[in-house]
Amino acid sequence: MKSTPAVITPSSSSTTTPDGSFATAIDDVIARLSVVLLGKHLQIRQSLACLLAGGHLLIEDLPGMGKTLLSQALAKVLGLTHSRIQFTSDILPGDITGASIFDRDAGAFRFVPGPIFAEVVLADEVNRATPKTQSALLEAMEERQVTVDGETRPLPQPFYVIATQNPATQTGTFPLPESQLDRFLMRIEIGYPDPDAERELLKGGDRRVALERLAPCMNRESLIDAQAAVERVKASDPLIDYVQRLVQFSRQESEFAFGLSPRGALGLLKSARAWALIHRRSHVIPEDVQAVLPAVVEHRLRAAADFSGHGGGALAQKLLSNVDVLG
Amino acid sequence: MMAIDSHTGVGSQIPRLSLALLMLTQAVVVVPHGAHLSWWVIVVGLACAAWRWMVFQGRWGFPSRWIKVLLVTMAAIGVGLDVRLRALSAFSLETATALLIVAFALKLVETRSRRDAYVVIFLSYFVIATEFLFEQTMAIAAYELLAVVLVTAAMVGLNQMHTRIRPLVSLRIAATLVLQAAPLMLVLFLFFPRMAPLWSVPLPGGAQTGITDRVTPGDIAVLTQSDEIAFRVVFDGPIPHPRALYWRGIVYSRYDRGTWSVGPQHTAAHEPPLQLDIGTSTPRRYEVLLEPTQGVWLFALETPVPVSPGVELTRDYRLVADEPVRSLFRYRVDSFADYVADRSLPDWLERRETQIARGVNPRAVRFAAELAARYPNKRDYLDALLERIRVEPYRYTLNPPRLSSDDDIDEFWFDTRAGFCSHYAAAFVYLARLAGIPARMVGGYQGGEINPLTGHIVVRQYDAHAWAEVWLEDAGWVRMDPTAAVAPQRIEQGLDAALSEPDRATLSALTALRFGGSKIADLMYWFESLEHRWNVWVVGYDSDRQYHYLRQLLGGVSPVKIGLVMLAGGAVSLALVALSLFWRRRTQSGHPLERTFRHFGKALGRHGMPRAPEESPRAFLARVAQWLDKPASDLMPLVESLEALLYNPMPDQSRHQRRFVERGLRRLRLEAALRNRN
Repeated sequence: MKSTPAVITPSSSSTTTPDGSFATAIDDVIARLSVVLLGKHLQIRQSLACLLAGGHLLIEDLPGMGKTLLSQALAKVLGLTHSRIQFTSDILPGDITGASIFDRDAGAFRFVPGPIFAEVVLADEVNRATPKTQSALLEAMEERQVTVDGETRPLPQPFYVIATQNPATQTGTFPLPESQLDRFLMRIEIGYPDPDAERELLKGGDRRVALERLAPCMNRESLIDAQAAVERVKASDPLIDYVQRLVQFSRQESEFAFGLSPRGALGLLKSARAWALIHRRSHVIPEDVQAVLPAVVEHRLRAAADFSGHGGGALAQKLLSNVDVLG
Repeated sequence: MMAIDSHTGVGSQIPRLSLALLMLTQAVVVVPHGAHLSWWVIVVGLACAAWRWMVFQGRWGFPSRWIKVLLVTMAAIGVGLDVRLRALSAFSLETATALLIVAFALKLVETRSRRDAYVVIFLSYFVIATEFLFEQTMAIAAYELLAVVLVTAAMVGLNQMHTRIRPLVSLRIAATLVLQAAPLMLVLFLFFPRMAPLWSVPLPGGAQTGITDRVTPGDIAVLTQSDEIAFRVVFDGPIPHPRALYWRGIVYSRYDRGTWSVGPQHTAAHEPPLQLDIGTSTPRRYEVLLEPTQGVWLFALETPVPVSPGVELTRDYRLVADEPVRSLFRYRVDSFADYVADRSLPDWLERRETQIARGVNPRAVRFAAELAARYPNKRDYLDALLERIRVEPYRYTLNPPRLSSDDDIDEFWFDTRAGFCSHYAAAFVYLARLAGIPARMVGGYQGGEINPLTGHIVVRQYDAHAWAEVWLEDAGWVRMDPTAAVAPQRIEQGLDAALSEPDRATLSALTALRFGGSKIADLMYWFESLEHRWNVWVVGYDSDRQYHYLRQLLGGVSPVKIGLVMLAGGAVSLALVALSLFWRRRTQSGHPLERTFRHFGKALGRHGMPRAPEESPRAFLARVAQWLDKPASDLMPLVESLEALLYNPMPDQSRHQRRFVERGLRRLRLEAALRNRN
């Protein structure tokens, strides 16, 4: 069969990437992150895909699972300026966006930018803040600009928010409403490490040290290039049909309280493209969609019979197992 | 009426918007019944709706059990009183319907769970069906069809999710459902045996319309204000001029104090049944579609011979039906215009047709004696009567002065000299009888209007007419129309031409419009022709015609054949629906290779290796390789090609590649089959 010229062998064209330099850079990023967060390859790749797709990331898990570690490592390894905001119940919108302060020397008000003016904003425990402060952050996420004292200031480009939150069932939290959850491209959970990784963790000591030693292997320009490359990843008609079937299913089945929004559908396809790029492919295959689907849709779905808002996982599985890959 | 308190979960509640739609539906299906319901039923319905609305808004609560019992008791008493007051029989259709509608309205105030809503929906269908017992016009049918769509939409709405009630979507789904049911409906309509009812309720009586079996001059003027259709006629041959069309209905032989009535009827015991000696003359053949009259009399041209079953000829050459006409009645008639009716007159009949009242109308008696002395010949005498009408200042009007005394013939003939057809006919007949000439008044319709679109004749109530028949030796019964003497244009051109301005003012707006000859009149013709076709093809499709058509179609009617036809028809209509569904799904599927691979998955499923929906080609082929005990790398070329074709399409992809994939899949199918064999 290999004599037939049209046959594509595994070694030749399936691994073509638009640009070899991304491939190595991305592999490098993954390798370095794996040193910091042990045994979490899937989560590392998902979060990377999220950022390559230009979306904001929500990491949700119990305290002490490495949420902050992952987010800080991501910012650092991508070579972006980053700031960290620790949300508490008494933090105010001005603490995030910045405020105008009277400068006695100049005799005028001077705008002091808040921590949000950074390329990566780590919003730690975002659900501890009051809704008012949350919405200030989430508005900035959507508009990519901040308005203070009537003046609109653009945020840097690229601009990512990596928010972490405790599960909403924990005490002292203000759960994010659906409309604001929708603005996060992905929500991932980290989960307990497997025994091997845990053993290595226990032997190796504090991961903070590894974080300190982490050197950036991308920068702002190469990241923007990589984002552009994501846009160029091909999604064929049969694949888009598949995405449409998935979305349609979520809108029609009675188990779903509401279907996926167009923004959700768009996010799903874009994440799948990024996932394909990470895996050195110039086109999306159904496996890419399936890999990112739980992270993209879980926080956007709610079961009709469920009022707590945490049935998304089962629904994502239902989507996957019921919708035919082929039309 | 039962309280369903156990049904209080979220799932069994009626979504609010669905409830609104449900209430609208109820109103829509009850509206056509308004025509024959007592006013208090409507009031109860509105009150219940208002109550339910207050519950809907959260201001009031549901009625308690005792109030419900009270309401039901009162409603039952109300229906009972209704029966007494309107002199209906206890088991009449009106009573049953009133009971149904009242119960339907009361159901409103206890509709709280989904189950109640379903009861309301099924009742709505039933209420729709009952309306057809009262009226079967096309307008009603169209209205009820829309109502069916609305009820179905309400049912669809009940099954929508709480967060996603979209009335327009429900309506669209309902319309599609009704449309899909249409072929089956057609099959049932055409082939389902029309069985005689196992039990029967008296059909709705309603007020009599049209001419009646007793007439006081003046009655027919009331009819002329109505443009309701009396009947339609379809001629087999050419259509005669309306002037020649005297539709005989009732013969009035008995005069008593200004009132003419049919008089004592001759029964078959007196004389053998009437046998017409038709000879060789050719008849006029036509079919009449008579609107309900509640009477047994039918209308036909002179001298009729009934063709349809259930129609008989009476001694005075009228047609009567076996039963009162309570819904559209179709009958065929052959009319022999040349036939001489009653060459000789039996004594009893002569006595009947010369009966006069003693001691009244003295002036007429004197007048008749003088005239008869001057014209001994009977024909001359009658001509002189007509001549007098023509010459003296008699006039034709729809608003004649009232005749108040018992000497009404005198009063009209000598004093008022104004009247319309029945005045002239009555006076003419009476004066003929005073001269000893057998004469009788005939009531019916004269003329009609030809619908240019379908070529049938429409006879309306304002065509009602009365004329005279006199018996002359050798000639038998001869029609004489004194109205033609006073207002020839009434006969020649119809009522419109004979009317004066004040007369016109008494007509209804619609009748006046009909005479306008405008675009609107054309439109009316069009609607009329539609209604006519409806009557012929739908309402008039009775068991006889069904039998007739089925015999033509099947060459003989047996239960087995009907069953087979219904099965075939049902299968065809269901197949149509299935085909359209299949077609719609088919057009959605995209890439041909996707289909190929799906078939491949199904084929392997038959060998015990089914593909799960979420398995992509790569994942499934990997599993297949394992199942066939092959190294995964063996299938890699196939996987790569398939994936490239589906997900990485290139303009230069050759057909080779596709063929390679198809060949590879075929080979795998073969291997799977062999594996099972071993």
